Order: sequence, then structure tokens, then C-alpha cells
Amino acid sequence: MNRDKLFFIAFLATFSLINIYLLATGSLAVNAEGIGTIIAAGVTLSLYSFLYKDNPLFKFAENLYVGVAAAYTLNQVWYTVILADVLNPTFNLNDQTGGSNEWLLVFPVMLGMFMLTQLASDKINWLSRIAFAFVVGLGAGLAIPRTIAANILAQMQPSMQPITPDLAGFNLVVILLGVVTVLIYFFYSVEHTGAVGVASKIGIWFLMISFGASFGYTIMARLSLLIGRVGFLLENWLTLQLPLF
Amino acid sequence: MKDLLINLDRRIIFIFIAVGVILPALTTFPLPIKPTANVRAVYDTIEDVAAKNGTVLISFDYGPGSMPEIQPMTLAVLRHCFRRNVKVVGMCLWPTAVGLVQQALETTSREFDATYGEDYVFLGFKTGATSLVINMGRDFHATFPQDIQGNNTADMAVTRSINGLKDFDYVICLCAGNTPDGVWIPYGQERYKFKFGIGCTAVMAPDQFPYLQSGQMNGLIGGLAGAAEYEKLIETPGTATEGMRPQSVVHLIIIIFILLGNTIYFLYERKKGGVR
Repeated sequence: MNRDKLFFIAFLATFSLINIYLLATGSLAVNAEGIGTIIAAGVTLSLYSFLYKDNPLFKFAENLYVGVAAAYTLNQVWYTVILADVLNPTFNLNDQTGGSNEWLLVFPVMLGMFMLTQLASDKINWLSRIAFAFVVGLGAGLAIPRTIAANILAQMQPSMQPITPDLAGFNLVVILLGVVTVLIYFFYSVEHTGAVGVASKIGIWFLMISFGASFGYTIMARLSLLIGRVGFLLENWLTLQLPLF
Repeated sequence: MKDLLINLDRRIIFIFIAVGVILPALTTFPLPIKPTANVRAVYDTIEDVAAKNGTVLISFDYGPGSMPEIQPMTLAVLRHCFRRNVKVVGMCLWPTAVGLVQQALETTSREFDATYGEDYVFLGFKTGATSLVINMGRDFHATFPQDIQGNNTADMAVTRSINGLKDFDYVICLCAGNTPDGVWIPYGQERYKFKFGIGCTAVMAPDQFPYLQSGQMNGLIGGLAGAAEYEKLIETPGTATEGMRPQSVVHLIIIIFILLGNTIYFLYERKKGGVR
């Protein structure tokens, strides 16, 4: 028996013993909530077992998560979209909406069904192109003006304010310098030598500082997730009382 | 020793991180939490909404994967709204948020005796994020004729007088994806000009600062630290405040490892032309 198998058996044995103890002492109730907590703890530990090495427990938990998330999403889409927005109004199944039979809904539903023909035989899968053409056309028409307005024009506006002799003015100069030098760095039509080279190097520094800030925030985010799971294991599973400040 | 440090097994770092999370979680030591201007802006706007007995729309766009960061924000913002009698309309652009939000609404509404339909309404999830937001701006009742429980939105006290997004006094997006800069700002805020604030995961936060500077959003609660600041503002410590101790300790550990790694690199590896 190799070391990995021993770890695997030891993990299962320890996990089982802890749960038996928690259930026997009444720390966890023998009901749906208690069993749910044990399953959640097991899945959490299985996923973190990847930190040691890829293993069957991790694979099982990973696939379980994908399956559960897909089923949950389907459930939400069925009740709040397909049933509430399509079937009820079309066939007048729910009097509360007070609507008549909205047969016009058949057209968007048909477009949606056409998308699914992508999965069918070559004889009918050309229908999906109609749906995709509609989505691409609509998406581009909606996205292009909105993106230009929200992400370019509205972003340029605050960079073009008058520079004042205070902290706000200094910030504006820094932002302006950052925008111009980073744009120069990504301008490949001119050789990056002389003044352009200096500006490009300053642009790299701005980019590096921005990557550093993003990296710092990413660490904070990932740690928050770890803290959340550890908090769950300590408080909800092992039923320890964690102190607040 | 030199070889050990150069070829340090990453699992040793994991052990340090695990200890750094678990030990501070079990002990207590004082750490100051000072609310930043961006978090305070969200708080102050809700206070302003409370002063005029207004309504807030909260879009919950996250899932179990980001629950440790966003759920404390959800609880803190809902507690603030219910405490100050601000009417809340909740909705989701992510289906995975529905169960988490129902849980949070149940907890907080019970704490403050908030009544469903009179103090808050939950619309649930709907697909088509961009077209959904555009339609909400034009005709709220046509977009959401019913809430998640099947009640008509035109009949409930909270949503009766809401005709479009402009009628909300504040729109908040608590999210873990691109819904603020990908959906709410381009298709909602820019078009219908409502007051907009967000609470997001720390990963997202750096990308959202340009929207703060441009005034397209007025406040930002970033990550678990932001949630802890909000908990401080409402004077109700919760899991975010609890998480600040381990987070600070682990940040310290990571800084030490980064300094150690760079020192070793500059002392031994740089001469060889790079790391192994």
C-alpha cells in the first residue's frame, strides 16, 4: 500500500470518526440540516485535498459541484423564465397575470429552439444559424453604442478636467500621464527609442503597478474564500464558537 | 538550508497559510477597522434614501463560489435598509444567487420585523441580463409582472409606484462577475441615469475604480474588507469582521514569503540568469 492510499484511508477514517462523535454528542443534529452540514464539510475537504495532490475525492467533489450547479440553474430557469415568461402567458395558465394568450411569444421561443438544433443532425442544424444571426445582430447593435458611451466617452471625460493646484489636480496629472504612456507602450507603429522609449518605459511601470494592485486584491479575494470555508468548518461543522473583535 | 529555501515545497506554504487562517480565527486580538470613503458613500446614500422613505433596488449577482465575500455584504446592506425602513426590491442576474438571497432576506427581515410586500420584495432570477436591464428601465411591471412567489408586482406596496429604473432612489449591485461594468453601467446607469453603487469581490475591485472616478458609480464595497467596513458602519459585526483577523495574519505571512523569495532570488538565483 503506497503513501497516497494510506493518506486516503486515514482521511476517510478521521472524517468518519469526527462525524460519529459530533452526531453522538448532539453537536450536529441527526436531521437534514446536520447531514447537509456533514456533506458540505466532506465536499469542502475533498476539494481542498487537491492542495496535496490530484485525487479521486477531488474529482468526485468537482464533478458533483458541476452537476448540482447545472441542475440548480435549470430549476431556476424553468420556474422563473420558461414557466413564468413563456408557458403561463402563452397558454394562459396563470390567471394572476391577467393576460390573454400571448401567441407572439412563439417567435422568440422558436428562435431559442433553433439554437438547440445545433445538437441535432446536419439536415436541420442550419436553423441554428438564423438564431445566431439574430443574437449577433441584436448583441452588436445593443453593445457597440452602449460600450462606447459607457466605457470610452464617459471614461475620457474625467481625464479632461482642468488641472487645479491641489491634490485633485495632482491625481489628474498622474492619471493623464498613466493613460498617455500606457497608450504609447501599446503603440507598435513607431520604434520605442528616444522620447517614445522613455514614455513607453514609464507606461510599463504604470502597468506593473496596476498588475501589482490586481494581484494584491486577488490574494485578498482568494483568502476571503478560504477564510469563509474555514469559518464554516470551524463554526458550522465542528460547532466551535469563533470570537468576534 | 539554501537548497531547501530555493526548492521550497509549495505544500509547506499551504501549511503556513492554513495555520495563519485557523489560529487567528480561534483567538481574539484588536485590529482597527476604518471605513473608507468608497464604502461610506454607499452607507451615506442609503441614509439619504431613508430620509426620504425611498426604495432601493439590489441586484444580487453571485453564487456559492463567492459567498464568503458577498454574503456578509448582502446581510450588512439588508440590515442597514431594514433598520432605516428603506424599502428593498431584490433581483438576481445570476441564478445561483437565488437561494442565498432568500436565506439572507429571511434572516434580516425576521431581525427587523420587515413584512414581505410592504417592506421588501424579491423578484428572483431572470435571463437576458442586458435586455432585462433595458426593459426594466422602460417598463418595470412588464419586465417583472410577478415576483418569485407569483404575486403581481403592480399590486404590492413596494413595487406599485415603480415604473422604471429611474424610480428607484438607489441601485446597488452586489456581484461576483462583470454585471456592473458589463450590464448595469452601459445598459442601465448610462441610459437611465440613476444613482448606482456596488459591492464586489476583491478580484473585481481594481477594475471598478475608473467607474468611481467617472462618477458612473458613487460607492464601492470591495471584498471581505469592504464588507467588514460596512459592518463597522452599521455597528453589527458579522462574519466579515470575524474574517479580518485571519486575513491580516495571512497577508503578513504572504508578504514575508514574497520578501523571502525575492531575497533568495537576488542572493543566489539571479547570477544564474533566472529561477529554476
